[in-house]
Amino acid sequence: MIHAHGLFKRYGELVALDHVSFDVERGSVVGFLGPNGAGKSTTMKILTGTLVPDGGSCEVAGHAVSPSDPGSRRRVGYLPESTPLYTAMRVDRYLDFVAGVLGASRTERKREVGRVIDACRIGKHAGRPIGALSKGYRQRVGLAQALLGDPDVLILDEPTSGLDPREVVRMRALVRELGEEKTILLSTHILSEIEATASRVIIIAGGKLVADGDPHAMAQSRAARLVVVMRLGVEDLDLERAHIEDELMGAHGVQEVLHFEVKPGGIRRCVLRVERAPGSESLQGEPVAELVTRRVTGRGWHLSELSWDGVDFEAAFLALTDFEGERS
Amino acid sequence: MRGLLPVFRREFGARIDAPSALVVTLVFALVGQGLFFFLGHPIGDLRLPGFWAGQAATLQVIFAWIPLLFVGFVPALTMGAWAEERSAGTEELLLSWPLSGLAASLAKFLAVWLFLGVALLITILPLAFVVSGLGDLDWGVVWCGLFGAFLLGGACSAVSLLLSALFREQLAAFLASALLLGLLWASGLLVGSLPASLAEIVFYASPYAHFFDSAARGVFDARDLVYHGSLIVAGIVGTTLLVEGRRWR
Repeated sequence: MIHAHGLFKRYGELVALDHVSFDVERGSVVGFLGPNGAGKSTTMKILTGTLVPDGGSCEVAGHAVSPSDPGSRRRVGYLPESTPLYTAMRVDRYLDFVAGVLGASRTERKREVGRVIDACRIGKHAGRPIGALSKGYRQRVGLAQALLGDPDVLILDEPTSGLDPREVVRMRALVRELGEEKTILLSTHILSEIEATASRVIIIAGGKLVADGDPHAMAQSRAARLVVVMRLGVEDLDLERAHIEDELMGAHGVQEVLHFEVKPGGIRRCVLRVERAPGSESLQGEPVAELVTRRVTGRGWHLSELSWDGVDFEAAFLALTDFEGERS
Repeated sequence: MRGLLPVFRREFGARIDAPSALVVTLVFALVGQGLFFFLGHPIGDLRLPGFWAGQAATLQVIFAWIPLLFVGFVPALTMGAWAEERSAGTEELLLSWPLSGLAASLAKFLAVWLFLGVALLITILPLAFVVSGLGDLDWGVVWCGLFGAFLLGGACSAVSLLLSALFREQLAAFLASALLLGLLWASGLLVGSLPASLAEIVFYASPYAHFFDSAARGVFDARDLVYHGSLIVAGIVGTTLLVEGRRWR
């Protein structure tokens, strides 16, 4: 449904995209991740035809993306970052205007506007000026305009940016629902959003594609959370948290103590973010677990529990995009 | 041309709905009418008394002021047309729709031109009715003058829209546009002090030569149509190139 081949874009001296290629199949929700300035928005602008690449080509819904051919632009719904809208217009009139620009007749416009208003659940605000709506509802209006004309592909650039947690959950559910029928390319900074909505993730950093695959598998191959429950020796009962954390961080592969809990009877429960060994296939085989065990028992503490608590997508993302500094 | 009509309707509706556009129109009409009745036209070679002082059944005074009134009025109508699209980010959405830059530019131009035409009617027709009630007004000259002013307004609008597409800030677009239209207007005043060869060129570039010396006096000259038509086409094509060019930024 989306084919990008060798996309290259330069802004002055800065190479924003360096020969990026990927394909997205019909009917999938793909997360598009990367640090600020990675090239995500540039890629999305190229795919929507608002920007012409300096090199490479792309095809959306069977149409080559080209300024002279509006074919691909008819099949793509786009929600740009910051959701630009004509705030003085009423919601229903704005949607009617966009449907008209897309070429719908009067009756088609009426039907289409009703459909997207229902889909985005903005019916009770349809008669209000867009500028009077909350940020969450404006995002929904932006999404509603992207859905007009029933496009095959939706390109959503940070659709939950600036929303409160309740609105984030609602928007996420909406995107998941839409993903059942449409091909969605979703850019976001919120990693949990990708884990919750996308079946595949494309990570871009420094203008280059650095990873492409299943987010869980990607995370599992990079980082994980290790839960350590231990009972301190009598002489260490007053030991400060920082000392215990330092002891655990001394094990090679431990990146961060994510959680520290003091329990009665000298019990301490810690959750560690640990780096996975490259190529390791199972969590059980991780040497870092052995190293942590050795540090704990070496101090004379009793190890009550040592277990893996799933994967850490955030750590995987940080590891994959670590060369951001190379660009600056 | 796909999308032209919806964009035209939106742009025209936005001006009707915007209090600022209505206030500017009201100021344009009231200032024009005040100048016509009380001040006359005391600028340049053509000095005319106000209507009450001159007692002449003609609209020459208001037509003499039209080019200068456009210097403030037209940029106020056009400044946001593209500059606001850029600053608000809606231009990006506009470019993502299956809408050509030419359709968008033409639609915005037509909306401004029509609005300006309505403003001209609101300003000039009441004057014509008053003068006609008091004396023997030549309605042929009035309609010819209105048509000439409408053409001149179209040329000014096209140039101003081009300048609006150059800027991100509305104020900058307004100032640049007012400055350019002001220079065009002032060129008519400078003709007398320029060397003959240069004076001729400046005269033909001036709105005076293509409005006040012809249509405003009830004389329709096809060369004026070419002059204004050329500016309109150049403005629309230039705006289209600027907007479409953003895809290559």
